[in-house]
Amino acid sequence: MSVVLHEPGAVEETEVRQVRRGLVRRTLSRRPSAIVGIVLLTVIVLMGLLAPWIAPYGLHEQVGQPFEAPSPAHPLGLDDGGIDMVTLLMWGTRISLLVGFAATAVSILIGGTIGLSAGYFGGKVDTVLMRITDYFIVIPDVPLMIVVAAIWGPSIGHIIIVIGILLWTGTARVLRAQVKSVRERVYIQRARALGASHWRIVGRHVLPQVAPLLIANTVLTVAVAIFDETALSFLGLGDPSAISLGKVIENAFERAAISSGAWWAIVPPGILVALIILSCSLIGGALEDALNPRLRASHLGARSFRLRPLVGRSPESV
Amino acid sequence: MRGADYFIKRVVFAVVTVFVAITINFALFRLAPGSAVANLSRVPHATPETRAALKKEFGLDKSRGEQYVLYLKQLAHGNLGISFANQQPVSSNLRTALKNTIPMVLLGTLFAIIFGTFTGVISAWRRGTATEGMTLGTALTLYAMPTHWLGLMLIIVFAGTLPTGGMSDEFLINPSFTEHMQDLARHIFLPALTLGLVLFGEYTLIVRSAMLETLGEDYILTARAKGLKPWAIMRKHALRNALLPVTTLIALSLGYIVAGAILVETVFSWPGIGRAVYDAVLQRDYPMLQGAFLVLTVSVVFFNLVADLLYFKLDPRITE
Amino acid sequence: MRKTSAALFLLVTLAAGCGGSSSSSQEGGTFKIGTSSRIDSLNPYVAFNQDAYSTFMYIYPFLVQYDKANQKFAPDFAKSWSSSVDGKTWTFKTLSGAKWSDGQPLTAEDAAWTINTDVKYKDGGAANAAGLIAHIKNAEATDPNTLVVHYEAAVGNVLAQFQQLAILPKHIWTQHLGKSGNGLKTWANPAPVVGSGPFKLTKFKKDEIALFERDPSFYGPKPKADGFGLRMFSNDDALVAALKSHEIDSIEEVPPTAINALQKAGFVISDVPGADQTDFIVNSSPNKKSHPELQNPKVREAFDNAIDRKQIVDVVFLGKAKPAASIIAGSSGDWANPSVQPTAFDIDKANSILDGLGYKKGGDGIRVANGSKMSYEVITPTDLSSANRTFQILQPDFRKIGVQLTQKALDSTAAFDAMTAPNGKYANFDLALWDWVGLIDPDFMLSVVTCAQFEGWNDSGFCDKKYDADYSQQQLTPDQAERRDLVWKMQTYLQQKKPYLWLAVLDHVGATSKNWTGLIDSPQGPFNSLSKLSLTSVHQAG
Repeated sequence: MSVVLHEPGAVEETEVRQVRRGLVRRTLSRRPSAIVGIVLLTVIVLMGLLAPWIAPYGLHEQVGQPFEAPSPAHPLGLDDGGIDMVTLLMWGTRISLLVGFAATAVSILIGGTIGLSAGYFGGKVDTVLMRITDYFIVIPDVPLMIVVAAIWGPSIGHIIIVIGILLWTGTARVLRAQVKSVRERVYIQRARALGASHWRIVGRHVLPQVAPLLIANTVLTVAVAIFDETALSFLGLGDPSAISLGKVIENAFERAAISSGAWWAIVPPGILVALIILSCSLIGGALEDALNPRLRASHLGARSFRLRPLVGRSPESV
Repeated sequence: MRGADYFIKRVVFAVVTVFVAITINFALFRLAPGSAVANLSRVPHATPETRAALKKEFGLDKSRGEQYVLYLKQLAHGNLGISFANQQPVSSNLRTALKNTIPMVLLGTLFAIIFGTFTGVISAWRRGTATEGMTLGTALTLYAMPTHWLGLMLIIVFAGTLPTGGMSDEFLINPSFTEHMQDLARHIFLPALTLGLVLFGEYTLIVRSAMLETLGEDYILTARAKGLKPWAIMRKHALRNALLPVTTLIALSLGYIVAGAILVETVFSWPGIGRAVYDAVLQRDYPMLQGAFLVLTVSVVFFNLVADLLYFKLDPRITE
Repeated sequence: MRKTSAALFLLVTLAAGCGGSSSSSQEGGTFKIGTSSRIDSLNPYVAFNQDAYSTFMYIYPFLVQYDKANQKFAPDFAKSWSSSVDGKTWTFKTLSGAKWSDGQPLTAEDAAWTINTDVKYKDGGAANAAGLIAHIKNAEATDPNTLVVHYEAAVGNVLAQFQQLAILPKHIWTQHLGKSGNGLKTWANPAPVVGSGPFKLTKFKKDEIALFERDPSFYGPKPKADGFGLRMFSNDDALVAALKSHEIDSIEEVPPTAINALQKAGFVISDVPGADQTDFIVNSSPNKKSHPELQNPKVREAFDNAIDRKQIVDVVFLGKAKPAASIIAGSSGDWANPSVQPTAFDIDKANSILDGLGYKKGGDGIRVANGSKMSYEVITPTDLSSANRTFQILQPDFRKIGVQLTQKALDSTAAFDAMTAPNGKYANFDLALWDWVGLIDPDFMLSVVTCAQFEGWNDSGFCDKKYDADYSQQQLTPDQAERRDLVWKMQTYLQQKKPYLWLAVLDHVGATSKNWTGLIDSPQGPFNSLSKLSLTSVHQAG
């Protein structure tokens, strides 16, 4: 970014650049666990991306008896259809990540737009949008997700939209708070006075300031989205042709894996899901930690300590 | 804003939210594909007359607007409709289900609150040490595990030692009070533990966060400058002030836990409201789904309200 | 021998004589059954689930029941029966001195009342029983032990119908008629239920437990056990774990993946051919306009050849099933036509049939028929647990013959709606996967492909005048041999028309602890709605 306005605003512009350069360093120094998170997530995402090429067997290829025990050829055994577990885990990760990221994208889009608009325009727009957000926050997500998925039908597109539609509230609130504080800054008002359009201001001044927070929020939302997908699949509402990690767990559960002694069909996929959520939480949490004192957005009252309870609520915290 | 004003404002908000939820509920279900009648009339030789009669009985022949008004009227009388599955009032089905869920959820929450607070405090106090790393690590790991998967893991571990399903051994004929209590205890242990462990992770993180914030405050610095011992600071200032937001948080999460119990109850065949939702989904028992969803929403709204009022009581500076 | 030791000796001998030396069975005990199914309602006018009907069999009187082999009819409440020459009047002699569990007398009047109520309200509150009283004008109890039933025409399956009709206590149910009989559907009939059977239902918690105790007032042979219980689980793992830990004594349906483990643990596994068949439905509605090639019998034959039934049996059901071929499964005994056999799995043959029809494969390998791709949507109900794995086997095989299948999973209500759309014309859907659980008497299964069952039980859109005529005929043919021939003819006809491509007929696999014995198996399992024999004879092993 090389916009340099010859006015007091210029100071804050460079500040932004410094914020971002120092962010990574600060994040890592404050919470070294973030490194663990980043490494984990990278490995997992790579595995998911490369699944079609690195998977040892075919996704629908029956290579042995249902629930066959682990062997040198199949280190994690086979599932109830005689399919290699390692292959399933790789493809499952791919699908789970797809759903997680897609749902998050939907959620960030909605939440981001609403939060941005509410914070930037303020006044009536703000009140209306926040009222709507408040209602959505209060309605319990998991039951609503279940109901909508049940009525609408289990397809991967539906699941993505259903999850996304219920997760945006956290992003909206966080973004609104942040945009509000940024808006008060002098250089924004100067730019307005100079006649800059809303788009320009938002694009050039507001967004860069809120981007770090948005990223932190996004990462945390991914964790919740993946959890929600696992939950929906487990309750039988997942798309039967899209075999996510949640579906792998559900298949094993449906076919009495535990009673058959086939722990390999149930334990590994869960561990993988937990690792994804864990790494996202570590990264997101570290980012937030780093941004916290700088942006002084933590004293926002009662709801400031909310984490993202995975038992069924949207992410919202600073 | 004065206390009374705030109180009224929050109550009005709660009422309006419930109303919004009711409307969403209605819209969702009446717009559902797979009409209610199709489900009802899957009887052999159902004549068009039978189907018409059923339609009339459930008011499905009226316009959407009329149905909505009818729905509201029925709600006002506490009539949540008739379950498709057993043709009994939804309200009585739900009442039984809630009765079963609450003890299990309370037990798990209690476990999580006690241990979570303890671990959260330790983790914040011992900032920068190995203890913090350990406690934080455990909390994060537990928090990251999918609830139902954790339940399944516990089943694998405890299979054979503890019952893995149901609320009690129904075949116990005329058990003594102690036998009955023992039986209930053996059955409630695993589901409550599952819920408790997941919440424990979350509460630890919350308490830790709150403690860290408080510990960073100016008045704590002052106390240290004055030479007060760390534990005294903890006791006198930090704990007390950190517990304010924690209390309201817990009140808030209580409302959501009932919803989250769906996963635990499905895994452990616990006959509570979570499983009622799951079964209703499986059987597409729309009246039950509608009723359960409404009950869950109202409970969440209620606990939100409680949390808001609690927080106001504890810290009147907050006016939103 | 001294006096005291003689006395002792006598005592011991006497004791030995009493302690079951005559038979190896022990009296008493509660037989605990576990199931992942449900009793959805205790009201016969509401219930849908098999377990509910099995319950009714044990707590209510029926005129007749099946015999041990589940083929012929044996007495239950009726000790003998006869029909008039024209077949329009049937007379049943019922047992005298019978009582309901609340002490009230059980007579032919209760039977007459039940039948007449069902006839009167068959379009309303008693719709569930409408199929059973088809063609009945009315019934009367000419004396407390004689029931006379008047028919509109001579019916071919009188006894099979009455085998399913539970006789209800008039003095209880008259109070619950409600307005125009609608009360019949809304009364919960809660436990303890007033009935008359080897057992009475004393405790019922929906979705949890149903407890039955021996009914001392029963008119028939007394059960050996003190009682039995049906415990309901919401997942298979909990069910199997409960059996392994001896919380329950028997499982109704063992998940195929757990069979080996249970066998190793020393449980007795029972395996009999069942009545549950999975099917691949081809829309046969005359109203269907799109994809007319699906109506071509040669296309259906090609599809049939592309189904690897052996793999479905092995992978989906772990070998606990057999390839299926007819709408009437083998468990119906003589009613099943033995010449109707499963089609062979032959990809080459399928390909040559489709080649012969001129449906060329496009660049993507999918054939084009009459200008449109042979790409179809297969509707699968989410509550059919075998649907996904079955589809995963069908999809690649159909690809090999140039046909593309995509899966559309819907819950059973939405699925049925999608198949009957629009407005009961069955004009939209292409293909579907589902299953049927047949009875022993073929009438019900044969009815599901009739025009009259559109929007009722019909899920294929099949509507054929010739078939319908045959169907009415078999219903009204009292001569059993003649009826059998007609039923066989209908099966052959359906095999040619192929509204259903039958996939597999499932075995009924149960598991019981070694501590109990004496169960009598059936295609519905040992706890069934066919007769009262099984749980009456079960007893603890000595």
